[in-house]
Amino acid sequence: MERGYWIRSKPLYETLVWRQRATAHCVIAKGEGGLAVLKLFQQMFPREPIKILFADDVNSSKKFADIMSVVVTEGLQICQSEQEITSELEQYLTGCKMGTQFYVAGDEHFMWNVMSVLKPYGVEDVNVNKELCGTLARSVYCVHCKTITNNAHHNIETCSGCGRNLLVRDHFSRRLGAYMGFMIDAEEPGKVPDIEEVYP
Amino acid sequence: MSVLNVRVDAIEQVTEVVKHFTLVQENGEALPQFSGGSHVVVSMNINGRVHRNPYSLMGSTANTDKYEIAVRRQEKSRGGSVFMHDKVEVGTELQITYPVNLFSISKLGNKHILIAGGIGITPFMSQITDLNRLGWDYEMHYAYRSDEHAAFREELEELCGDRVHFYVESDNQRLDFNDLLRKQPLGTHVYICGPDPMVKILHHTAEELGWPENHVHSEQFSAPPIGDSFHITLSQSDMEIEVSGDMSMLEAMEEAGVDAPFLCRGGACGRCELEVISCDGVIMHNDHYLSDTEKAEGKKIMPCVSRAKCQSLVLNI
Repeated sequence: MERGYWIRSKPLYETLVWRQRATAHCVIAKGEGGLAVLKLFQQMFPREPIKILFADDVNSSKKFADIMSVVVTEGLQICQSEQEITSELEQYLTGCKMGTQFYVAGDEHFMWNVMSVLKPYGVEDVNVNKELCGTLARSVYCVHCKTITNNAHHNIETCSGCGRNLLVRDHFSRRLGAYMGFMIDAEEPGKVPDIEEVYP
Repeated sequence: MSVLNVRVDAIEQVTEVVKHFTLVQENGEALPQFSGGSHVVVSMNINGRVHRNPYSLMGSTANTDKYEIAVRRQEKSRGGSVFMHDKVEVGTELQITYPVNLFSISKLGNKHILIAGGIGITPFMSQITDLNRLGWDYEMHYAYRSDEHAAFREELEELCGDRVHFYVESDNQRLDFNDLLRKQPLGTHVYICGPDPMVKILHHTAEELGWPENHVHSEQFSAPPIGDSFHITLSQSDMEIEVSGDMSMLEAMEEAGVDAPFLCRGGACGRCELEVISCDGVIMHNDHYLSDTEKAEGKKIMPCVSRAKCQSLVLNI
């Protein structure tokens, strides 16, 4: 890594903190994002109406739904899947007013999936409080065959569409919710640098 | 800076204090295309000194045969609006800049609330033609002092139909920002042009209600305020200039032959920003561009509207 060098499109995530000025709050979280939701309620229980949409990750040993049901006594909706979260969110958004604050926590793929639901309702990425939880796994967009490969843990990943060896870059597309990946051995086929896990 | 040479084609007295000017290009060609909310800067030669005032383009963005501007007569100003009212006639030749837009409709918005106070209605006249053409959801809220000041009311009724709402101060009709903003659906953007207190109250109300900053848009052109004279030193040009009480720093530099950058000349766009190398007194920031922190730091100044009370002010130009 070159020192002092950074790619401006690489999203920087924050910690979830209740926004002081609001007319309502909507928190959307999945899997280990549950811990970020519990941390929110360590801060306080806001005065304004709240809506919490949460689903545990079925593949993870860490579960938060039960604890959350104890802590969050109002506005909590436990979902069974990411798909249920997004369809419930759609319903909530149709009646939503300006002044509603949005908070999203979970893995990166989940957060940008939620953003793709929020965007048509005029909610801009910069105004959504996002906390990355659980994993640094990336989604990679193959610039050659346009396939997006999820759950990339390595500096070089095999494209699930065309099988090319893709170098995973920091260049990020907010529209696609994925990092740019391009063929690393295009000049000399087969000459691939060491493949290492860098996004655990 | 390239300019357009125009001729006044028609003048209409809209209210007691507002005149509407139609400008056409002197060479008979169509004028450049513009987008809703754009403005031009009009140059006026008043007693040998060049004044430049920004005015919003009002007409339909589909019609580039002519530009339309409206000027409110400001008795307490330095003479630009009075010149437009008293000296400019049909046939008068003027120079204007190319249109610049600092107040465009956000393409990410799903609904647009337009709020005008008095002569602040002008940028919305062209924005509305854009909104109508695009078929986007909007509301126009127009507050003015009394029936005699209802400039462009009939045009607005025709353009907006039931999307326009009027608030006449003399009839005690008040526009309640809290009430208006509270009920807006997600994805709404609000735009305001009007007197300074009105703009400040809207920004404050939106902030209190949790509206994101980038959903609140305002445009204010300040006239350069009159003040005490002071001295400036230009380090690159190696010049000392006296800024008289009725002149802005920008005008003083221009008169001294310095090619200083500018766009809006009203403290809104930030184009004329200069670096302050040193100042032994106080800078009076009158712009809407610099943040409060930047103003407090005193490292930058907008010479189009700001002044200083000091013995020495050194600028990097």
